[in-house]
Amino acid sequence: MPAAPKRRGRAELSAGKLGVVMNLPTLATLALVLAYPIGYAAYLSFHKVTPAELRRGVFPSVGLGNYQRILSDPLFLLALKNTLVFTAVTVVVELALAIAIALLIDQRQVWTSRVTRFLILLPYAVPPIANGLIWSFMYNFDFGFLNRLLFSAGLIAKPVNWIGDPNTALFALTVPYIWRTLPFAVLLVHAALQGINPELYEAASVDGAGAFTRFRHITLPLLVPILVVILVLRTSFAFVVFEEVLAITQGGPGDATWVAVWYSYKRSFAPPFDVGIGAASAYVLALIIGALALAYVTIIYRRIE
Amino acid sequence: MRQSLVTRLALHAANLLVIAFLLLPLAAATIGALQSAKSLQASTRSVLPPEWTLDNFRVILSGGAQEGAIFEQATYLPDNVKKIHYAFINSVSIATTVTLLTLAFGSLSAYTVARLRLRWVMWLMNLNLVARFVPVIVVMIPLYVTFRQLGLLNSVWGVIIALTGFLLPYGVVILAPYFATVPRELEEAARIDGCSRFGAFLRVTLPLSTPALASYGTIVFIVAWNDLLIPLILNNRAEFMTLPVVIASLVSDLFVFHNLMMAICLIALAPSVILVLLLRRFVVEGLSAGAMKG
Repeated sequence: MPAAPKRRGRAELSAGKLGVVMNLPTLATLALVLAYPIGYAAYLSFHKVTPAELRRGVFPSVGLGNYQRILSDPLFLLALKNTLVFTAVTVVVELALAIAIALLIDQRQVWTSRVTRFLILLPYAVPPIANGLIWSFMYNFDFGFLNRLLFSAGLIAKPVNWIGDPNTALFALTVPYIWRTLPFAVLLVHAALQGINPELYEAASVDGAGAFTRFRHITLPLLVPILVVILVLRTSFAFVVFEEVLAITQGGPGDATWVAVWYSYKRSFAPPFDVGIGAASAYVLALIIGALALAYVTIIYRRIE
Repeated sequence: MRQSLVTRLALHAANLLVIAFLLLPLAAATIGALQSAKSLQASTRSVLPPEWTLDNFRVILSGGAQEGAIFEQATYLPDNVKKIHYAFINSVSIATTVTLLTLAFGSLSAYTVARLRLRWVMWLMNLNLVARFVPVIVVMIPLYVTFRQLGLLNSVWGVIIALTGFLLPYGVVILAPYFATVPRELEEAARIDGCSRFGAFLRVTLPLSTPALASYGTIVFIVAWNDLLIPLILNNRAEFMTLPVVIASLVSDLFVFHNLMMAICLIALAPSVILVLLLRRFVVEGLSAGAMKG
C-alpha cells in the first residue's frame, strides 16, 4: 500500500511534483486493478488457458483461435442477442418510467409524492443478488408470492409459470432489474427538473399552453441532455447484467436467458474452466461497451466546456 | 397553481402505484421470512401465513445451534449459512476498508485535478471516465489468474484491492468539482500563515468538503457492501465469503427453502437499506454529481 505523502521539514514540493506524489496511490491501484488486467485479459484471450495450463503456468498461444471459437459458437451469439433484447427493453422502460416518476415526485404539494420521494432510493440499497433471490421467490411456480397475490385478487385461476417459459423468461428478468436500477434514472431526471426555470412554465401558461403542451415543448427538450446521459449509462450497465440471471434463471430454461457476462462467467469459472475463451468473450463485450463509453465521454466533455 | 380534485386524486393514485411497486419485493421477503417452510407449503394460494415466527432468524443467527419449530422434519443447514457471522464480519470490514481507502486516494487525486490543474491529471480523469465502463468480468478473469499466482485468493485483501480500484474513478468525478468550489483564497490565507500546500489541503479544503466526502463515502460503502462478482470469483471458502456470496451459494441448493433464503436476504439488505435511508441526501447528491458533472 503506497503511503500518503509526508512533509519533509520546511522544503515545499513544486506543484508538478506534489501532483505526481498525490496521484501515486490512485495510479498504483488503477494500474494493478484496471490497466494491467485489461492488458492481461487481451493477452489471455489469445492463449489457451485451462486448469492444466494454469497449473503449469505456461499459456500456449492460439492466435485468434478463441475469438474464432466464440464467434462460431451459437450459444455466444444467442447470449449477445439476449443481452441486446434485455438492454433495449430495460433502457426504454426505465427512461419512460424515470420521466414519469420524476415528474410525480416533483409535485411538492401532494403529500403522497413526498412519500414516494423518500422511498424511491430504497431499491438502490438492496444487494442485487438479494434482489434476485427475492424475485425468484416471487416468481416461483408452486410457492411464489406473485401467484399468491394474483390468486387472492381473483385475477388468475391457475398458477403462472413466470420463469419456466422460454418465451417469457428473459422479460421476467427485466422486471427485477428495472426495479433495482430505476432510482438512479429517476434521481438524475429529478435533479435536471430542478434546473428548469419556473418562469418558462408561467409564461407558457399565460399564453394558454396546457400541461401536456408545456411538457412537450419545455420540459422534454430541456431534459434531452440528461436523458442522453442516462441512456448511455444505463445501456452500458444493462449490458453487464449478472446477479439477477444467477439468482433467478441461471441461464435457463434451456439457454433462454444466457446473457454475455453469464457466458464469460460460465466458460471461465465452471466446467470446462476455459479462461482463454472467457477472456475473449469478455473482451468482445468490452469493445461494444467501449464504443458507448467513448460516446459518453464526448458528450460529457461538451457539457464541461 | 391550484390543482383540481381530479388531478390530485390521479396523482395520489399514481403515487400509491409506485409505492406499491417499490415495496412489493420487500413485503414479499418479509412475509416469506416470518413463516415456516411448513406454512409456505401448506397453502400455496394465501398471501399471509396462518402463524408468524422468528425461527428463521433464530436458526440463522445461532449458526444452526437453535433448531426451532421450522426444522421439525429437516435439520439441514448449509455450512456457509452456519458460518454466516464470518460473512457478516467480512462484509463490514471489506466495505469499511474500501470506503476509507477510496476516500483517501480519491481525495488526493481529486485535489490535483481541482487545484494543481496539471494537464496529464486531466488526462487521467478522462481515462478514469472510460475505465468506469470496463465490465467487471473483463478485469476479474485476469485478476483471478494474477491473484491466484500471488496467493491473494481466499483473502479479504484481494477483494479490498479489487473493489478499491474499481470504485476510485468515481471519487475523482464526485470530489474534484466540489474541491474546485472551495474558495482558493482560504487556502492561500492558510499558506500565508505557514501551512504547506499539502497542509492547506488537509486543514482547509478537506474539512470544507465534508458533504462531498460523505456522498462519495456512502455510495462506495453501499456498492462495496452489495458487490457480488468480485468476492464470488476470488473467495470460495466460507471463512472469506461476504454476505452476497453466501446468498449466491444458496441459489442452486435445493434443500434450503424460500423462508430461510428470504431471512438471509433481509439480514444482508437491512444494513445498506437503513444506511441509505438515513443518509439519503448525500446519496442523492453523490449520484447526481457523479453522472452529471463528471
